Amino acid sequence: MNLEDFKLLYVLSCIALGFIILSPTLAMVIKLPSGERFSELWILGSDHMAEDYPSNVKAQEVYKVYLGIGNHMGSLEYYRVYVKLRNQTEPVPSAVNGTPSTLEPLLEYRTFLSDNETWEKEILFSFEDVSFDGNISKISKLVINDCTFKIDKVAMWDEENHGFYYQLFFELWLYNATASGFQFHNRFVWIWLNVTESF
Amino acid sequence: MKGYKTFPIFLLILLLAIYWITPTCLGVDESEARSKISQAEQDLASAYTAVVEAELVGANVSGLKGKLDDAAELLAESHIAFRVGDYDNASVLAVQCGNSVNGIVDDARLLKTETEAAYGSRLFLTSALVSVGLSVLLILSLFGWRFLKEQYLKRVLRMKPEVRKAE
Repeated sequence: MNLEDFKLLYVLSCIALGFIILSPTLAMVIKLPSGERFSELWILGSDHMAEDYPSNVKAQEVYKVYLGIGNHMGSLEYYRVYVKLRNQTEPVPSAVNGTPSTLEPLLEYRTFLSDNETWEKEILFSFEDVSFDGNISKISKLVINDCTFKIDKVAMWDEENHGFYYQLFFELWLYNATASGFQFHNRFVWIWLNVTESF
Repeated sequence: MKGYKTFPIFLLILLLAIYWITPTCLGVDESEARSKISQAEQDLASAYTAVVEAELVGANVSGLKGKLDDAAELLAESHIAFRVGDYDNASVLAVQCGNSVNGIVDDARLLKTETEAAYGSRLFLTSALVSVGLSVLLILSLFGWRFLKEQYLKRVLRMKPEVRKAE
């Protein structure tokens, strides 16, 4: 190794050492970009697993699911979940257009979540005053976590799937401080419920 | 006969009195409940914005977040009560929500100021230490280079073949 090569190696070593000494200040000033930002919304069955969801339901019987939210947005977020019930012909949220269902919510939950924090809620629901008339079924009341809602929801007999189907779904909304309001976060989960006659 | 004339007037006054007094004594109407919910929404949103600003500068906002959560739960219950037509309860819950976020904005701002001040002094201290470190490195590297250069030249000179006179 000649003197010039040795000098270059020495200067580079000194510069590297300089950066190591400078690193605490750099770490305080430079903010590295974080990873992908997203939120989770999930629904679990009665055993806290992604199975055994209620499907064939009867009036007066109580069913249980768990609703959960996960925040990976990088900061404290303000969430709202709308609980809605629809029959097969009523509007559904659109993941493609990012629009919520136009149906009025029955119930709502609100929570603040820090980054990487999760929230979970037990949802107990039952149907009351269910009537059947030929190929039409009607639910008059829905009880969710001891709150009774008068719904008067009607469903037609589904020839293909053999049942009277209703969809209980949950929409996730996120507060946008810039717009000073909640915006649909394009996340929704649902369970299909075939309401059957209780004997 | 005089009593017959004054009775309708008395009845009218009584009916008007019932009309004006009843809402204030017995309950809250829809618009009042809506207005209280709207106020609670704004209060909670302002509190949230202040807490997020404090969090962005690195403040520990876990205590304030707990208060926000409690208020959010009250507001959600207020909305539910409103939807089922229980305006009294909706109004009470909205007011409770507003009360529970009272002071959060000031607390968050104070926390933000304290965190920024702490960050400023920490940055100053770190920068000062780094400056000293870099100065020492610069001086040592110059002396070090002189020393290493001498060592290098000595080693090269030792390796240089000696020229002797031919016998």
